[in-house]
Amino acid sequence: MTKKEKKSFNQSLAEWKRFIYNPTSGEFLGRTAKSWGLILLFYLVFYGFLAALFTFTMWVMLQTLNDEVPKYRDQIPSPGLMVFPKPLSALEYTFSASDPSSYRGYIEDLRKFLKPYTLEEQKNLTVCPDGILSEQKGPVYVACQFPIFLLQACSGMSDPDFGYSQGSPCVLVKMNRIIGLKPEGTPRIECIPKDENVASISTYPNNGIIDLKYFPYYGKKLHVGYLQPLVAAQVIFSANSTKKEVTVECKIDGSPNLKNQDDRDKFLGRVAFKIIARA
Amino acid sequence: MAGGAHRGGGRWGAPHSPAPPGPRGCPVPLKAAAQSLCRKPTWGQYCTLLLFQRKLEIYSVEHHAATDIKKKEGRDGKKDNDLELKRNQQKEELKKELDLDVSLQFAFVLFVFQGLSSTRAAELLAQNGPNALTPPKQTPEIIKFLKQMVGGFSILLWVGAVLCWIAFGIQYVSNPSASLDSVYLGTVLAVVVILTGIFAYYQEAKSTNIMASFCKMIPQQAVVIRDSEKKVIPAEQLVVGDIVEIKGGDQIPADIRLLSAQGCKVDNSSLTGESEPQSRSSEFTHENPLETKNITFYSTTCQRVFRCTATGMVINTGDRTIIGRIASLASGVGNEKTPIAIEIEHFVHIVAGVAVSVGILFFIIAVCMKYHVLDAIIFLIAIIVANVPEGLLATVTVALSLTAKRMAKKNCLVKNLEAVETLGSTSIICSDKTGTLTQNRMTVAHLWFDNQIFVADTSEDNLNQGFDQSSGTWTSLSKIIALCNRAEFKPGQESVPIMKRVVVGDASETALLKFSEVILGDVMEIRKRNHKVVEIPFNSTNKFQLSIHQTEDPNDKRFLLVMKGAPERILEKCSTIMINGKEQPLDKSMAQAFHTAYMELGGLGERVLGFCHFYLPADEFPETYSFDSESMNFPTSNLCFVGLLSMIDPPRSTVPDAVTKCRSAGIKVIMVTGDHPITAKAIAKSVGIISANSETVEDIAKRCNIAVEQVNKRDAKAAVVTGMELKDMSPEQLDELLANYPEIVFARTSPQQKLIIVEGCQRQDAVVAVTGDGVNDSPALKKADIGVAMGITGSDAAKNAADMILLDDNFSSIVTGVEEGRLIFDNLKKTIAYTLTKNIAELCPFLIYIILGLPLPIGTITLLFIDLGTDIIPSIALAYEKAESDIMNRKPRHKKKDRLVNQQLAVYSYLHIGLMQALGAFLVYFTVYAQQGFRPTSLFHLRIAWDSDHLNDLEDNYGQEWTSYQRQYLEWTGYTAFFVGIMVQQIADLIIRKTRKNSIFKQGLFRNKVIWVGIASQIIVALLLSYGLGSITALNFTMLKAQYWFVAVPHAILIWVYDEMRKLFIRLYPGSWWDKNMYY
Repeated sequence: MTKKEKKSFNQSLAEWKRFIYNPTSGEFLGRTAKSWGLILLFYLVFYGFLAALFTFTMWVMLQTLNDEVPKYRDQIPSPGLMVFPKPLSALEYTFSASDPSSYRGYIEDLRKFLKPYTLEEQKNLTVCPDGILSEQKGPVYVACQFPIFLLQACSGMSDPDFGYSQGSPCVLVKMNRIIGLKPEGTPRIECIPKDENVASISTYPNNGIIDLKYFPYYGKKLHVGYLQPLVAAQVIFSANSTKKEVTVECKIDGSPNLKNQDDRDKFLGRVAFKIIARA
Repeated sequence: MAGGAHRGGGRWGAPHSPAPPGPRGCPVPLKAAAQSLCRKPTWGQYCTLLLFQRKLEIYSVEHHAATDIKKKEGRDGKKDNDLELKRNQQKEELKKELDLDVSLQFAFVLFVFQGLSSTRAAELLAQNGPNALTPPKQTPEIIKFLKQMVGGFSILLWVGAVLCWIAFGIQYVSNPSASLDSVYLGTVLAVVVILTGIFAYYQEAKSTNIMASFCKMIPQQAVVIRDSEKKVIPAEQLVVGDIVEIKGGDQIPADIRLLSAQGCKVDNSSLTGESEPQSRSSEFTHENPLETKNITFYSTTCQRVFRCTATGMVINTGDRTIIGRIASLASGVGNEKTPIAIEIEHFVHIVAGVAVSVGILFFIIAVCMKYHVLDAIIFLIAIIVANVPEGLLATVTVALSLTAKRMAKKNCLVKNLEAVETLGSTSIICSDKTGTLTQNRMTVAHLWFDNQIFVADTSEDNLNQGFDQSSGTWTSLSKIIALCNRAEFKPGQESVPIMKRVVVGDASETALLKFSEVILGDVMEIRKRNHKVVEIPFNSTNKFQLSIHQTEDPNDKRFLLVMKGAPERILEKCSTIMINGKEQPLDKSMAQAFHTAYMELGGLGERVLGFCHFYLPADEFPETYSFDSESMNFPTSNLCFVGLLSMIDPPRSTVPDAVTKCRSAGIKVIMVTGDHPITAKAIAKSVGIISANSETVEDIAKRCNIAVEQVNKRDAKAAVVTGMELKDMSPEQLDELLANYPEIVFARTSPQQKLIIVEGCQRQDAVVAVTGDGVNDSPALKKADIGVAMGITGSDAAKNAADMILLDDNFSSIVTGVEEGRLIFDNLKKTIAYTLTKNIAELCPFLIYIILGLPLPIGTITLLFIDLGTDIIPSIALAYEKAESDIMNRKPRHKKKDRLVNQQLAVYSYLHIGLMQALGAFLVYFTVYAQQGFRPTSLFHLRIAWDSDHLNDLEDNYGQEWTSYQRQYLEWTGYTAFFVGIMVQQIADLIIRKTRKNSIFKQGLFRNKVIWVGIASQIIVALLLSYGLGSITALNFTMLKAQYWFVAVPHAILIWVYDEMRKLFIRLYPGSWWDKNMYY
C-alpha cells in the first residue's frame, strides 16, 4: 500500500500535467471544452440573476429612504465638537510665529472654510432674531446669517494671519450638524487651557455663545445655504511663560440636552487640542 | 547464563536449535542429572524439561523435545522415579551434557515433586515479570491532549493568534496608545483553540473510559505447589516451572504442559476457532504444540466435566504464552487511520488551503494597494478566521459521539469515536465463525430414525422442536438420549431457561441433556425413575458409552441397556433396527440407508452419534443380577439400532438475515475460521455466506463427475480455501481469489493468515471489517479498518484489539452499525455543507473592505460568535437527521472516490448558497447604513475617513456630521445587522441541508425535532447577543432595530426555493449534467 502511495516526483509532475491538459480526453483542468462552456454559461446566468436580484432588493430598500431626512437619527442624539483647521495628524497645531510657511496651511484652510461666511456670500440669507430657535415649516427653509465679524480677532478681516504671526493662533470650534437638533438653554462653548499660567483663551463671539437661531438644522437638501454657528478660540500665551505649549479643552456648556461627559466618545460635546508654538 | 536461559526458554522465537534432542521426548528429568547440572552455578536446581522453538508463524511452532513424563510420575510414581533417576544417572548425565551443549539456553529443569521454592519463584518472577499480558501501550494523556491542541485547524488559529500579538507588539512600539483590538482577537483565538481542544479531548476521554471500565478483569487464582505445599496464589505470580493444579471449569492460568490429567477437555475455540472441545491428557501426541494433547494454553478454559483434574507445569508465562504472542502480534500491527479521519483530514486540507491561499492572495493585494503591512497582516488573520469553521471539528466530534451513544444503546459499543463511521464505508466483512456466526455451543441439529432425517430447532431458545414425535422409535430414542448421559444441571437453576442453565458435563452431553430436557421435561426425574445399575463411560478406545437401567414400568422387570457412540461402532454392535417402533432385522438395504444418512449428516459438518438399546431378557438377568462394568458380564452385541443424532455448533438465528442485509448493502461477507473446512462450509451455507445456488469448484466437479482441474473456475461463485492452500498462494493469487469469487470461506487459518487475508482485502481498496471473538482473531481485528469483537464470548485480547464491541454478541448488530455509519457519513456531509456555507458570507466583508473600502461590515470577533455561537447546535442537529432513502440498499462508498467533502459540496456551498447568503447579509448591512444617513454609494472608498480616529465631523448624505465614536457605534450596528443577516439565512441553510436529494417536504419538516431546537437556539443566541449583551463594548454588538431582523428573510426564502429546484432537477434528470455538478 505504502509503496503505491509514494509517487516519484516525475510521476506526480506527469499527473499534474495531465490534469492541466489531458490530450486523450481533451480535458483542460479536469473538464472538457464543452463542460467548461456549460459551466461558465451556468455561472453567467446564475450570477447575472443574483446580481439582478440584489440590485432589485437594494432598489426596494432605497425606496424606503427619504431624500431630505434620514430614516433614523437615533445614533447621533447629541453633537460632537470639532476644531478647524484640521492638523495633519492628531489634534496638534505646531507652528512657528517667525516662520510663515509653518502656518500657511492652517491659514489657507481657515480662509477657505470661512469663505461661505463672508458678507457677500451671506447676503441672500435671512437675518434672524437672536436667542430663539428658528423653527420652520417649509416648504422653503431659510438659513440665518452668521456675520463673520462675530469672530472678531479671528474673523480674518483685521488679521489675515488669524493671529498665527503674533503667536496667538485662532482655532475654530464647531458643533456637528445634526438634523432637527434643538439645543435647550443657552449653549456656549467654553475653552480652558490645561495650564492657566502658560496661556489664556479668548473666545469669540463673546463667551463663546452659540445662538439658538441657527437651530434646528433641516438637512443638506432642504436647508440650502445653512451656515453652522462657529466659535473661535484664540490662544494667548502669557508673556512671562517660557513654555509655549498648551492643551486646550473646549466643551459645550449651558445646554442640558447637549452632552459633554461621555466616557467613550471623547468628542461628544467636547474637544481637546494642543498648540505648540515654536520660537 | 540465567538470562540466556530465560530468553531461550521463554521465547519461542529463539532461532531453530541446530539439533533437536531426540525425535520424540528427551530424557526424563533426573534428580542426579539435575544435581550435576547444578554445578553450573547459574543453573540453580533447574534442569531441562522442555524445549520449544518457534518459527515466525505461530501455528507452526514446533515442539521438539516434549518429554514423555508418564502418568505414573504423578502421584505414586515419585519413588520409582527417584530410583530410575539414580539408575540412569551415568548415562543420563552424559546425554544431558550433550543435549545441553546444544540447547542449554533453552532449558529449564525442575523438581516436579516439590515445586519451586518460594525464593526461586520470587527470583523468576522478578526476572520474567508477572504472568500477565502487557496491556497495549497507551498514548500518554498529555500527548493526546496536545494532539487535540494542534490538530485540525488549531495550528492555523494558533498562527493567527500569534500574528495578532506580534502585530500588536509592533503597533505598541510605534504608538503606545494603540488599540487593544488585536490583543483581544489573539486571546480570543487562543481561547477558542484551547476550549475546542479541551472539548474534543473530553469527548475522546469519555468514550475511552466506558471501555476501560468494561475491560476490567477479575483477578484469577491458581493452585500451585511450592515448597512442597499446595498454595493458592494470584495467577499473575506464576512463574515458569511452577506446578499447578487445574480442575474442571477453571481458566488455564498459563501455558501448561500436563503431567497428569484425568478426563479433561479444554475449549480452545478462542485460540484456534475450533468449536469442539479438545480432550487433554499427559500424552505427547503431535509435533505441533497446538495439536498435542499434553499442552494447555493460557486463557483457554477447562470444561466443566466430572472429576476433571490435572497437574501440569508452567512452561510459559505472560507475554511469552501463545496468547501473549498473538496479542503482541496484534499490537505490532500498526493502527491505520480510520476512513473518517482520512476524510476529515482531506476536508481540513481543503478548507485550510482555501483559507491560506485567499489570505495570502489578499495580503499581496492589500500590500499592492499601499496598505500598511501591519494592516495587511490583520486582514490576513481576519480572512483566515473567516474561512476556518472553528466550531466544526467539535461539532463533528459531538455528532460522532451521539451516534456512538445511539449505537451503544443498540449494543454496539464503540471504543474509538472515529470508528463509528467506519462500518458505514465497509465493503468487506471478514467474519470469524465460532462464537460470532455461531452460538459456540453444541446443539442437536438433526435426527435420523425410521429411515428419515428430522430437523431439530437450533435457534437460541430451542423451544420449537417441531419434528414428528409420534413414532415409537422416537420414544425409544428419546429414552436413550436421556438415560445414556452423564451430564447434569447444576442444582438451583429451576427458574433459568433451559438453554441458559449451567451443566456439568462435556459439550455434546450437555447438548443432549438440554435437548431432552426441552422435549421430555425433567430429565433428572426420568433418570430417577429408571434407576441406573451400571455404566461404562465414554473413552477413546471403546468409542461408546453404555449404561444399564431398571425400567420405570414396574411390571417390566427387564433391564434396559442403552448405548451411544460413534455411529459405525454402534452399528457393528447391532443386528436389528427399529422402524416405526418395531424391531426389524438389520439388512443390507437398511445398512445402506444408515450410511447414506451418516454421510449426509457428516457432510453437513455435524458430529454424528449413533444410539442403540437392548432389553436384557428377564430370565437371564433377574432383578438381583450383579452387573460389573469391568468384566462386562452382559451382552454388547446384537443390539437394536434406534437412530442417529447429529450435533453442530449452530449459527445464531439472527445471522442469516444480517448476512442478507449486508449483501444487499453491497458488502461482501467472507468467513475466516480456524475450524475445519466441512463445518465451515456447512455453516457458511446455512447463514448465506455461500448462497443456496452457488457452488464451489469442488461442487461442480462432483456434480459433473469430472476432475477438479477440468472445471472452469469462472463457473464457481463460491470458494472454500484452507489454510494449507493459502500458505502456497502468492499475494497475487490471493488478490485474484478475492476479486473473482463473491463468496469465500477460509478454513483452518492461523492468526497470521487471517492477517494476510485482511491485508489482501485492503489491497483491493476495500474498507475491511473483521469480526471475531477469539485471541486468534486479535491480530486481524487490529489490522482491519474496523475490528468488531464479541462482548460476551469475546476474549480480552480480541476486545483490546477491536474498535467496536457487540455487547450482545449479535452479528446483526453489525447491520445496525453499517446503517448508523452510513447515516452519520451522510449527515456529516450535511453538517459540513451547512457550516462551510457561511464562510463565504463571512469572508466577503473582508474582501470588499480591502478592495472597495466600505466600512467593515462584520468584525472578526462577531464572526466567532456565528461559528461558535449560533451555528453549533444547528450543525449538531443535522446529525439527528433520518436517512433520505434506503441507505442499506446502496453500495458502500468507494474509499477514494466518494469523499466526505467533494468538489460539488465545496462549490455548491461556497459559490451558490454562500454567495446568496453574502448578498443577503450585505443587504441588511446597506439598509442599516442607508437608513442612518449613509447611502450605499457614499460608502465606497470611505474606509480611510471612516476609520480615522481624528476625524470627528464626517458628513453623511444628509449633511449631518458624525464623531469617530458615533461612526464606530454605527459600524457595530452594522456588524450586528450582518450577523443577524447571516443567522437568518443560516436558518434557511439548515432547513435545506436536511436533505441532499429529496424534497424537504418529503423528508418532513418537523420529523427531526432537534433541527427546531437548533433554529430556536440560533434565534435565542442572536437575541441574547444583540439585546442582552448589546451594552458590552468589547463584544461589538448593539441593540438592533426589530425590523432589521427580517430584511434577509426574502434571501432566506430564495435560498430555500433555489435548493428545492436543485433537488427537483437532480431527481428529474438523474445522471445529467445538473446531477453531476450539483449533487454533493
